[in-house]
Amino acid sequence: MTPSPDPVTLAVLENRFRGLVEEMGEALLRTATSQILNSSRDFSIALCDSQARLVAQADHIPVHVGAMPFAAAAVLDAFPGAVRPGDCFLLNDPWHGGSHLPDLTIVQPVFADRTLQFLCVVRAHQSDIGGATHGGYNPSATEIWQEGIRIPPIRLGERDELREDLVAMLALNTRIQRDFRGDLMAMWGAARLGARRLEALLGTHGAAPLRAAVDAILDLAEAHARRIIGAWADGEWTGEAVLDDDGHALTNVTIRARVTKRGDAITVDLSDSAPQTAGFVNSSWPNTVSAARMALAYLLDPEVAKNDGAFRPLTVLAREGTVVRAAEGAAVTLCTSHPSNEIVEAIVKALSTAAPDRAMGGWGRRFRVAITGGDPRRAGRRFVWHLFHARPGGGGHARGDGWSCAGEWHSAGGLKFGSVEMAEARFPLFFARHEFRPGSAGDGTHRGGFGAELELRIETAGPARANTAGDGVRHGAAGMLGGRDGAPHRYSLLRADGSSRDLRTKEAGLVLSPGDVLVVRSGGGGGWGPPEGRMPDARAADAAEGLA
Amino acid sequence: MHGPYRIGVDVGGTFTDVVCLGADGSTALAKAATTPDDQSRGVLDGLATLAADLGVTLAALLTNTERLVHGTTVATNALLERRTARVGMLTTEGHRDVVEMREGLKPERYDLRLSPPPPLVPRRLRLPLRERLGAGGEVAVPLDEASLQAAIEALRDADVEAVAICLLHAWRDPSHERTAAEAIRHALPGVYVTLSSDVLPQIKEYERFSTTVVNGAVGPIVGGYLGRLETRLREAGFHGPLFVILSHGGVAPVAEAARLAAGTALSGPAGGVAAGLALARAGLGEDLVTFDVGGTSTDVALIERGEAALGRGRVVGGERIALESLDIVTLGAGGGSIAHLGAGGMMRVGPRSAGAVPGPACYGGGGWEPAVTDANLVLGYLDPDRFLGGRRRLDLGAAQAAVDRLATLLGIGRLDCAAGIHALANVAMADGIRLATVRRGVDPRGFTLLAFGGAAGLHASAVARDLGMRRIAVPLLAAGLSAWGMLQTDLRYEVSRSLVGVEGMPGEPALRGIFAELETAARRRLAEWMPGDPAIRRSADMRYGEQVFEIGVPLDAVDWGGADLPSRLAEAFHRRHEALFTYAMHGEEVVLVTARVAAVGRLPGSPAPAPPDREAAAPLGPRRAVIDGRELALPVHGFERLMPDQRVAGPAIVESDTTTVLLLPGDLARLDARGWLEVELPA
Repeated sequence: MTPSPDPVTLAVLENRFRGLVEEMGEALLRTATSQILNSSRDFSIALCDSQARLVAQADHIPVHVGAMPFAAAAVLDAFPGAVRPGDCFLLNDPWHGGSHLPDLTIVQPVFADRTLQFLCVVRAHQSDIGGATHGGYNPSATEIWQEGIRIPPIRLGERDELREDLVAMLALNTRIQRDFRGDLMAMWGAARLGARRLEALLGTHGAAPLRAAVDAILDLAEAHARRIIGAWADGEWTGEAVLDDDGHALTNVTIRARVTKRGDAITVDLSDSAPQTAGFVNSSWPNTVSAARMALAYLLDPEVAKNDGAFRPLTVLAREGTVVRAAEGAAVTLCTSHPSNEIVEAIVKALSTAAPDRAMGGWGRRFRVAITGGDPRRAGRRFVWHLFHARPGGGGHARGDGWSCAGEWHSAGGLKFGSVEMAEARFPLFFARHEFRPGSAGDGTHRGGFGAELELRIETAGPARANTAGDGVRHGAAGMLGGRDGAPHRYSLLRADGSSRDLRTKEAGLVLSPGDVLVVRSGGGGGWGPPEGRMPDARAADAAEGLA
Repeated sequence: MHGPYRIGVDVGGTFTDVVCLGADGSTALAKAATTPDDQSRGVLDGLATLAADLGVTLAALLTNTERLVHGTTVATNALLERRTARVGMLTTEGHRDVVEMREGLKPERYDLRLSPPPPLVPRRLRLPLRERLGAGGEVAVPLDEASLQAAIEALRDADVEAVAICLLHAWRDPSHERTAAEAIRHALPGVYVTLSSDVLPQIKEYERFSTTVVNGAVGPIVGGYLGRLETRLREAGFHGPLFVILSHGGVAPVAEAARLAAGTALSGPAGGVAAGLALARAGLGEDLVTFDVGGTSTDVALIERGEAALGRGRVVGGERIALESLDIVTLGAGGGSIAHLGAGGMMRVGPRSAGAVPGPACYGGGGWEPAVTDANLVLGYLDPDRFLGGRRRLDLGAAQAAVDRLATLLGIGRLDCAAGIHALANVAMADGIRLATVRRGVDPRGFTLLAFGGAAGLHASAVARDLGMRRIAVPLLAAGLSAWGMLQTDLRYEVSRSLVGVEGMPGEPALRGIFAELETAARRRLAEWMPGDPAIRRSADMRYGEQVFEIGVPLDAVDWGGADLPSRLAEAFHRRHEALFTYAMHGEEVVLVTARVAAVGRLPGSPAPAPPDREAAAPLGPRRAVIDGRELALPVHGFERLMPDQRVAGPAIVESDTTTVLLLPGDLARLDARGWLEVELPA
C-alpha cells in the first residue's frame, strides 16, 4: 500500500482537483448554447475516483453535488470491467444514476496504466428532454414515461469520438435539436478538458500516490466535519416543511425529518414524510440523499471540503413508497426543486436547536415558467425559454440579513437569471419591470432577502404555450428561531384584453397571446431570530431604500 | 547620466519607485515612502530624491524631462477600502436594482451565513427615468422630461459628486443617455457625469451598469488626484506630457484616464507586464510569464507570442469592471504571507499577511506567526546580515521560534516545517501561474518565467519546476522593474464596433469596410497623441450561433491580402475554440460580434539596464542552506559583480542589495549582457 503523501503534496493535489473542476465549469458555461446553461448556469461538475467517491466539486449547483456519485456508480455497475480508455458515457434516468430526466450526465473515465483512475462527471440541465411538454417539466405527468426520454447508462462515445447514431437519436427526441447538440458538445468538451488535466497529473505524480492522496483528502474532510458536528448538542428532533400541493388533488404534502445527532454522527430519517403522490413532486432516491447532504453542507463551515468524506457522518433513511423515495416509474421531474427545498428546510429546522447560530432562515422556493413559441424577428424560429428572473430571496442568519434575489435552497446563489438585454435580443419577450419586491422579506432579528417583481410581456409570433412548475404560493420560505416566513410567491397572468388570473404552480398547456403580461411577485427569504431583536436603524435603512 | 530624461513612477503599497532613463541610455532608481492620503506628495518626494541622487535641482530635472509615465493605485485603493465618491445613478424605470441584484449570483456557494456587500450606489440614489429602448434600439417609450427633472432634483438634494447614467439597450442607441447627461451637466455643473454607452458600449446590462457605476464612484477621486499631481508637477517645472498606465497596459493622457477612471484599476501592476513586453522585444523570448512577488501579494500575467493576454472579467473590491484589462492574476501570497494550521487540519500559507507592520517575525516588529520570509531565513536562503544590502538586520532566532510553533502543532521538525512553508508558498504561486496559463488553455512549459519584485528570486526555480517550465529570467533591476516598464509602454488606442443586427459573419466587402473604418478611426485618435506610423492590431470577438459568450480571436496571423476573408476569420475562430475547449463545430454558423482594431504607437524604448563590463569577481559566501532536506554550503555571487556570459551552476545564490536568487541543483545561470540573469533548468 502506498503511504499517504506528505501534507504539502496533499494540499497541492487538493487544490489541483478543485482547480480542474472549476476550469471544466468555466468551459461549459462559455461554450453551451442554451440559455439555461450559458446564462443561468444550471450545471455542475464533479470529480469521482474509480470507486465513484466524490473527490472534488466546485461552486456550482448544490442539489446536483451529492447526487453525482450515483451517476458514476451507475456507469460502473452497468459496464462492469468494460469501461475503456476513450469511452464516454451518458445517462439521465433517476433509477439508473440520475436525479430527474432533464439533467443529462456525462461520465468520462480517466485511465493510467490501463487502469481506471477517475471519472469526470458533468451534469447539465437540458432546455428540453422530449416528453409530453416542452421544457422538461410536465405538471400533468403521473408516470415517468410522460416526462421525457429515459436514458440508462449508455456508451455515447468510444475511441474519443461521439457515436453520431446515438447523438442523432437523442437529438431527435428533443424539441430544439440545435440547442441539444450544442449543449452536448459543450458537456463533452468540458469532460475531456478535465480528463486531459487528470492525465497530466497522473503522469506527474503516478497513479498510486494519487489514489493515496485521494484517501487522505477524504479522510481529512471527514475528520473536519466530525469535529464540527461533535461540538453540537446531542438529541433527537423533528423538523417539518410543507409543499403546497402535488399538482393534482392533493394539497399540503408534508416532509418530515426525524434527525438524531449522537457524538459526531447524524441520522436523518425521512420515513414519516407523506406517501408517494400522483404528481411530479416525488423524489428519486439519489435526489433525496443529495438534498440531505446539501442541508449538512450548509450547516458545516464553508471551508469544509464538500467531498465523500464530509458526508460520511450522515446517514439518510427513508421508506420506499414515500414522496421522498418514490417507486420506479413515478413522476419525479420537480424533485430537484421540490421536495429538495423542503427536505433541506425540515432538516435545518430540526437541527436549529442543536446549532442555532448555524441554522439560517429559509431560502426561496422555485416557481418556474417555461415558454415556447416563435420569434417574429427570426422568421418565427421556435424557442424554449425558462424563467430564471425574479429570483426569490435567501434566508436571514446569525451574522446578518439574507441575500436578495439569490434564489432557492437548492441553488443558493448559483443560478443566474442572466441579462435582460440578452433575453430581449434572443427571445420575443419584453421586461417592462424587474426590481426588488418591497415587503417580501421575512421579518426577524436578521430579515430574509427580498424577492422580485417582474412584468414580462409576450411578443411572440402568434400564440405561445407555457407550463409552470414550482411551489410556494401557499407556503413561504420558513422563518427560523422566531423569525417570520418570507412572503409566498404570487404569479398572475394579465391578458391583453384586460382580464387577469392567478397562476397555479403546476399548470400545463397554458396558451399565451402576444400582448399578455406575466406578472410575477417572487417570495422573500425567511427571517432569523425574533423581529423584536431587529435594530431600529436597520429598519430605518430598509424604509429609506423603499423596501419596507 | 544626462537629459533629456524619461521618468516612470510606480506607486506601491509601501514604496514609490521612480526610475529615470537618461539620454545616454543609463538608468537610475530612487525610492520614497508612499503617502496614502495623497499619493502625489510621495511622487514629488521620489522625484526630489532622484534629483538629489543625480546632483541637480528638482526644477532642472523636470524641465529637462520629456515624458513622465505614472502607475497609480488610487482607484484600486478607493474600491478596496470603500472610500468612493458619492455617486447617483439614472436608470430605466422599472430596472433600478440591476447593480444590486448581480444577476442573482452570489459568491461562496456554501457560505449561507454571508451577507451581501453594500452597493456602491444606494437604492435611494438609483433614480428612474421614464424611457425605454427595445432590443433593436428602437424607442419603446420616449424619454420623459418630467422624470428627468425629478431625478435631477433628487441628485441635487443628495449633493452627489458623480452621476452614472445607465439605460437599457443604450449600447444600441445612446441618445437618451446623452440627453440626460446634457441636462445634468447644465443643472449640476462640476458633477462628474459618466454614461454606460460611453464607458462600455456593449450588450449585457449588469456588466455595463456595474462598470459605469464604478467609473462614477472613482472618477472624481482619480480625476482630482491626477489634477493635483499635474499641478504639482507643473509648479515644480515639468512641462512635458504626463501619461497614466491603464488596466489594459497601454498609456493614456491624464484627461483620458480621468474620463475612464475605472480603467485605472490595474494601473499599479500593469507596469510589470509592460516591462515583460519590453524584455520580450529585447530578446528575452516572446513567451513569458511575468511573476512579480512583493510583500503581501504576487501578480502574474501571461505574455504569449510577444503579446499580453487581455480579459474582461475583472472584479475589484467585489465590483465588476468589464473593461478590457490585462489578465493579471493577483494572489495573496508573498514574503509576508503567514503559515498556519487550517481548520481542516491541513497546513496553509496565506492569504493573511504580516504586512509591513508587524512584518514577518524576523523583522523583529512583534510578529510571532511564521511568514514565508521567516521560513526562507530558517532554511538559510537569506543572510540575516545582508537583507536589503544590510540596511535591515533579520532576527534568525525569532524566525526559528515562529516556525517551531507551527512545527509542534503539525508534529514535524523545524526544517521540515520551514521547507513546507516555502513549498506551500511555491504551490500558491504556481497555482496563480496556472490560473494565468493553464486555465486560459495555455501550457506554461514552453514559457520563460520572468521573476521580479523583491521576493520572486527565492521561489522562481521551484515554481518553474512545479510547472514544468525550463527557463527563468531575473532582471538586474528586479526591484524597480514595474516603473521601468512604464517607460517601455506603447501608446495604444483601440476602437471596436459591435455588429448589431448582423447575423453570422458579414460578407467580404462589409467585413473589409468595417476593419478599414476602425483602422482609420484608431489612427486618427492616436495621431492626436503622438506623431509617426502606428502598428495596427486586429482582433474579433466571435462565437458559434447559439452561444452567448464570445472568445477573443487575434487576427494578425490572418492573411488579409488573400481571398475569402470571412472563411479565414471563421477558420481562425474554429482553431481557437478547439485549442481552448477541445472541440470545434465546423458545420455551425460563426458569428462575428465585435470587430476590434488597435493603433499602437511604439515609443522609443531603451535597453534593460546592462551590467558593467569588467573583471569577474570571486564568489562570496559560502552560505549554509537546506535544499530538499539536505544542508549544503552554497556559493554566493554578487549579482552586479557577475560578468556578461559568466555562468553559475546551482545550487548557488545570486544576490544584489534588493533581490536574492536561489539556484537549485542542476540549474545553470548565465548573465545576459542585455541585463538579466538567465537560468536553464534541468530536464
